[in-house]
Amino acid sequence: MVSLLKKIFPFSLLLLVACNLTKDVDVVLPEYDRQPVVECYLEPGKPFRMLLSESYSFFDPFNLDSNFLQNTLLDSAVVTISYDGKTETLANQLSFEFSPLKIFNYTGTAVVPATTGMEYTLHIILPNGKEINAQAVMLPKTMIDSVKVEFSADADTLARVLTYINDDTTQDNYYRRMLNYSSLDSTAAQDFIVNDRISQTSLIAFGTGYDLKEGDTIINTIFHISKPYYDYIESVQLAVAGNANPFAQPSPIKSNVSGSGNPVGVFTCLVYDRDTTVVHK
Amino acid sequence: MRFLLRLAVLLIGILLINPVFAQTTATISGRLTDATTGETLIGATVEALGLGKGNISNEYGFYSFSLAEGADSVTLRFSYLGYESKMQRIFPKGNIKLDIGLQPAGNVMKEVVIRSNPLEEKMKSTEMSVSTISAREVKALPALFGETDVIKILQLKPGITPGAEGTTGLFVRGGNSDQNLIVLDEAIVYNANHLFGFFSTFNSDAVKDLKVYKGGFPSQYGGRLSSVIDVRMKDGNNQDFTGSGGLGLISSRLTLEGPIQKNKSSFIVSGRRTYADLITSGINRANEGKADYNPIPDYYFYDLNTKVNFTLSEKDRLYLSGYFGRDVFNFKNETFDFRFDWGNATGTARWNHVFNPKLFANTTFTYSDYRYRINNELQGFSFNLGSEITDVNTKIDFYYQPTNKHTIRFGASGTYHMFTVARLKAGSSDGRISFESGQDFTGMEYGAYFSDDWALTSRLKVNYGARVSAWQNAPAFYAGFEPRAAANYTVNNKWSVKASYARMNQYLHLLASSGLSLPTDIWYPSTEGVKPEISDQIALGTSYLINNKVLITWEGWYKWLQNQVDFKDGAELFGNNDLENELAIGRGFAFSPLELEIEKKDGRLTGWIGYTLAWVRRGEFADINNGDYFAPRFDTRHNLSVVAMYELSKRWQLTATYVYTSGYISWLPVGRFTLNDVPGAPIQTVVPIYGDRNTFRYPAYMRADLGVVFKFKTKRLENDLTLSVYNATDRRNPYFIYLEPEFQTVQQGDSAIDIPTAIKAKQVSLFPILPSLTWNFKF
Repeated sequence: MVSLLKKIFPFSLLLLVACNLTKDVDVVLPEYDRQPVVECYLEPGKPFRMLLSESYSFFDPFNLDSNFLQNTLLDSAVVTISYDGKTETLANQLSFEFSPLKIFNYTGTAVVPATTGMEYTLHIILPNGKEINAQAVMLPKTMIDSVKVEFSADADTLARVLTYINDDTTQDNYYRRMLNYSSLDSTAAQDFIVNDRISQTSLIAFGTGYDLKEGDTIINTIFHISKPYYDYIESVQLAVAGNANPFAQPSPIKSNVSGSGNPVGVFTCLVYDRDTTVVHK
Repeated sequence: MRFLLRLAVLLIGILLINPVFAQTTATISGRLTDATTGETLIGATVEALGLGKGNISNEYGFYSFSLAEGADSVTLRFSYLGYESKMQRIFPKGNIKLDIGLQPAGNVMKEVVIRSNPLEEKMKSTEMSVSTISAREVKALPALFGETDVIKILQLKPGITPGAEGTTGLFVRGGNSDQNLIVLDEAIVYNANHLFGFFSTFNSDAVKDLKVYKGGFPSQYGGRLSSVIDVRMKDGNNQDFTGSGGLGLISSRLTLEGPIQKNKSSFIVSGRRTYADLITSGINRANEGKADYNPIPDYYFYDLNTKVNFTLSEKDRLYLSGYFGRDVFNFKNETFDFRFDWGNATGTARWNHVFNPKLFANTTFTYSDYRYRINNELQGFSFNLGSEITDVNTKIDFYYQPTNKHTIRFGASGTYHMFTVARLKAGSSDGRISFESGQDFTGMEYGAYFSDDWALTSRLKVNYGARVSAWQNAPAFYAGFEPRAAANYTVNNKWSVKASYARMNQYLHLLASSGLSLPTDIWYPSTEGVKPEISDQIALGTSYLINNKVLITWEGWYKWLQNQVDFKDGAELFGNNDLENELAIGRGFAFSPLELEIEKKDGRLTGWIGYTLAWVRRGEFADINNGDYFAPRFDTRHNLSVVAMYELSKRWQLTATYVYTSGYISWLPVGRFTLNDVPGAPIQTVVPIYGDRNTFRYPAYMRADLGVVFKFKTKRLENDLTLSVYNATDRRNPYFIYLEPEFQTVQQGDSAIDIPTAIKAKQVSLFPILPSLTWNFKF
């Protein structure tokens, strides 16, 4: 709802003045030192893998040539993840996953166990000798309780989909809800984070508008996420919004990785339930 | 409490002692009014010619001064800028009551009330850091969309930095926008904005007088750190039934006023409404049912001012006034049935009583409410969000003139505040799903004050006093002692030197989620965790009068701010039962070595030039910017405004304003990274990284507005046509700058991939050249 407000305010301004009043300007930004960027999602059943890259100064050219990956990825680091008395060393090896595209430049040989409550510790020694550390815990999966298709009473060719989950009301929980149409390769129609701190009931619903038709396929994903990951996503969203919306307050990136390497990024476990539904009457 | 007891004892003493004075001096008192409408004149002058004695009328038109009793007659001169002076011969003996009506100097538009302290009075007054705005200036000066606005004229005064382009935001001497005490007929207006800040709630047809204090605050005012904006509504014409109004690009206005009982009582009703929604709703109806049509949201605002006043007896007058305004935003499509409304309601009941020619009292009851509501209905689900602040206030103010050398004010007030903070209710109609959050608070705010404007010598005047304030929101209790002092040394008839000091306490805090004022900003009380904000301001200044026509005033000031409230980075304002955990508390300061105003109030060419050189900083917030000091958004180094009005003839008037402001401060990203993200989410190639807060300054803001007023009479109406040209040079001023990646679409098999190629800085401007025509009429 808040995001809706933020969309409506600029829209009301546009109603006032329907003129093109945008122009390019020169901006000089303060000096910025590149930072290591860690993204490591431990997904049960998948190998330990991580993307370690470097940030850029905002106006640095993209240079999407053959050296782009070399300039962006931070190679030659020593990466280990410890858990349950074991230490997994991730080799500096480029790999890809498609639909949608994901890039990893450090990969282990073992598979992430699905043990709820398992604690993981990430330790990185960068080529310059500086270090990065982080911790994460495997949360229990929150299952999708049910998915309900409802056709509009006004226009019976249009439907909405309601997705229900059962929330554990005994503790604070954080979720990321993602909704894709047709395939996971599509841009998510809904992608937002919520928490249950003000929920009075165990049942939580996520809905669409009446904009679905007979035969449409929707893919619901409910990630049960940790508070640090919730804060990280929120800060990413605010950072993006703050640069595009005069009513939004920007935010620095709230990372849960730290150390002498002065990193940004996140190290978290990724548990989710996913459901695919085809709209039928 | 002991302070209140002492005040009561003092009051009784004054009432008992006063007859002693009356036996040795003659006291002349009464009210000064506009002879054609009965409107009281604020700040009008009465003087005994040749004796160097006199006074000015207070905010109710009441004046009082003393002369030595004698057999010789004395001539009194009553004068007010824009009015014909009036002479009255008296024999000073005993108590003399003189209610005087002054005739406006021959204007075609006789509703024009020129309100301004004569420049000499201003130069000699202990008041400093004060600006006044007249109805004449408001109506004549060019305005955005032709919508005249008293607050936007105020933005042209030195020491006041305007908010974002076109809005009514005010940042006074380095203060935040919530640190302005805005009162309409003594009732607090919590959100003085319509249309997200583009227009103020003050209908200029209903406003009689506006005075802003930027420093040197009189003791009777308290509760905000940075300014007092005292707006007085017209009382209503007690001589004839009249009406006035106007048709503009955005809204129309109509004001009716007249006597209930001639010379004794009057009323005024003034309304205003926008009409864009009448067009948009028509378009929506015409396109209803069309598959590809997206409905246009309906938006409108309206406000209504009413006032009645009764002369109950020679010593008693009763005023009842009220304001009600709402903004309404509706949007409906297949997903939403959305309504967002917000607005203020105020009510004031005032009883003026003249105890004796030297003692005047005003007892006031006020009610004030600001709320917003957001409702969204879906089939089977609903969402409601709202906040509200409601005040019930009572206060009594005494104005006592024991001798010509002392003007004493004292009084006390109590306000009961009720807060509903971000109350959210959402869920399904069957009750299986429910979300609730929000907090409710109540608080009592107390104040008692005393001040004495004391003419120590013919050249040296001091105004000393203090205010005691307290706040109770159990278990939190705070009390503050607020000393106030000002002095004026008149070097000669052309030159004076002034100084002032004031401490202010603020017990309410506006939680704003961005640098811009939004209706959803929340008023939050002081609690155990959120201490009252405190400011201390010193000011030094000098005024020089040239040919009794042009007053040059220089002031330098420094302001210290404690317990400043801001949000932590990434704070969640809604759906949060622990808002205090999202707040950061810090300090601040602001200073200006040069705040200059050159004023000319009389003659064919009138206007002013204002210039301010200032620095503003906030810091020591534990969770913001690593505790380091930073410049807030409104830290504009240079502010220059030029305002000119030229009477070409009785029918034609030319007006112009020019504004130059150093660019606002902004927080732009310094770095970026690529976000791989989780399965199901695409890679985000540009995620901004923000470094230290507010390190970038926008380009300077410059704007010239022009206006022409043509006055004419028809059979039944006095009319004027006002042509306003906003941004006459069509300059593209920065409203917002953002950094936008540019993408190149690359075909990869069956799918297209957007590849970033470069980042460009884009500047968004809001208003090009905007001419508008407004027709105003009066009958």
